Amino acid sequence: MIQTAVVEQLIRTGRSFQLVFLIASGIAVYYAYNVAKGGKLWDIRPIEALDAIGESIGRCAEMGRPVLVTPGISSMTSSSGGAQMLAGLTVLGEVAQQAASIGVECTTNSSNQQIIIASEAIMRNALTAAGKPELYAPGKYVRWFGGGQFSYAVGCAGQILEEKPGLIIFMGYFLADTIVTGETGARVGAIKIGGTLGAIPFLAMMCDYLMIGEEMFAASALITKDPFITGTIASQDWIKVAATAVMSIGVILYAVGIKTIYTIMGI
Amino acid sequence: MGATLTYVRLNLSRVLIIVGALAALGTWYFSVPMVDSVFKEVNAWQINISSFTLFTGLMTISMRYIRAIQRRDSDIWPFQAYALVLIIVWVLMGLTVGMYSDTYQTAYLSTKITLHIAILGQIIFYFTSGAYRTFRIRTLRTAALAISAVLIVALNAPWVQNPFPAASNFAMWLLNNPQMAASRTVVITGGIGSIVLGIRVILGLEKGAQRITEGE
Repeated sequence: MIQTAVVEQLIRTGRSFQLVFLIASGIAVYYAYNVAKGGKLWDIRPIEALDAIGESIGRCAEMGRPVLVTPGISSMTSSSGGAQMLAGLTVLGEVAQQAASIGVECTTNSSNQQIIIASEAIMRNALTAAGKPELYAPGKYVRWFGGGQFSYAVGCAGQILEEKPGLIIFMGYFLADTIVTGETGARVGAIKIGGTLGAIPFLAMMCDYLMIGEEMFAASALITKDPFITGTIASQDWIKVAATAVMSIGVILYAVGIKTIYTIMGI
Repeated sequence: MGATLTYVRLNLSRVLIIVGALAALGTWYFSVPMVDSVFKEVNAWQINISSFTLFTGLMTISMRYIRAIQRRDSDIWPFQAYALVLIIVWVLMGLTVGMYSDTYQTAYLSTKITLHIAILGQIIFYFTSGAYRTFRIRTLRTAALAISAVLIVALNAPWVQNPFPAASNFAMWLLNNPQMAASRTVVITGGIGSIVLGIRVILGLEKGAQRITEGE
């Protein structure tokens, strides 16, 4: 009895279910990773936008044009955009390495100064991993346009007009800035690939390929083509099924007047 | 020495990520004063480092613009020189009169807000151009998309809404039912995806952003 009271005091009210869900998710990811390490290859649905990235980098090499990867306008610590930004930065590292390995220049930008520092490190590591560390120079591949949404939009549009990239990847947190940058990308004939959560309608209008919902988070794992990391995507599906089951059962029970799941979830 | 440095850099970044992430998670879920104080400390460091990155960002942009102005091989170098002068003017003004003074705030708002409104005004042209490409009717699916888009526009246009209230009602139904269901699916799956991404980062499986290579 006393132990229960102590636990109730330790865990913040209404967050027990979230904690259990997070721990279960962690176990599922770790289990899937270890199963993959044991030799099992998971069958993952191909994402068209990801396949297009490789083809488009090749197109850039043929046309002699650079690649632009933009992780958006969020900071790393933002609760709404931090995770999307992280997914964008991971894709930036892989794309920059793939591009450098076939002699294509990859540039990036952001409106947040934290991201600029991270992007510089990612670009340096990507070029080193591609076997071309001598190509790296601070400020050569990473652009910063100040902290505002529209100063970023104008700066990024200017960069697109100046560099005329053959491929633009919008992967991260965006707002109305994508309308300006995406349309400018269309003007220079770039292939545009997008992935975000909030500004999906804008990206859907502007982009040739779009990653919807979880796809952008899976993309950062799938693009590495590492079978172990790809295994964690399988666990994402298990968690999705579990969440859907809890929601469905909760809705049915609530409809018949039983509020057990509603109460457990702390709503 | 190189290998040792690489090892330290790799593991230091991982340790920092794990401590920062666990402190943030801990303070969200648990009511433990020690965890709260660790999070406050980590957050204070984060704020300090963020302030310093602003200076680094300024240095990066200045170096790039100065190089471009020296070379003058692009048509845009006068704009870069203008931007550089403005950066210096704003920094000097902030240092002398202070960021919260009436002078600074008046100058800031009268330029920033004006420029933002100018861009907002231009967005409609970008929208129209983008919509022209997106909503061209080619197949049954694109026809459904275009008709839905027209109905949503009608919802927000009183001169259509008043004479044809049925169009407005149908547009509202589209927003409240299929659109709402789809957008919530995106939010839920996106949330699950971000949880799994976070777990991969904490477990050290997500190496894209912290990939440290040998031989540097």
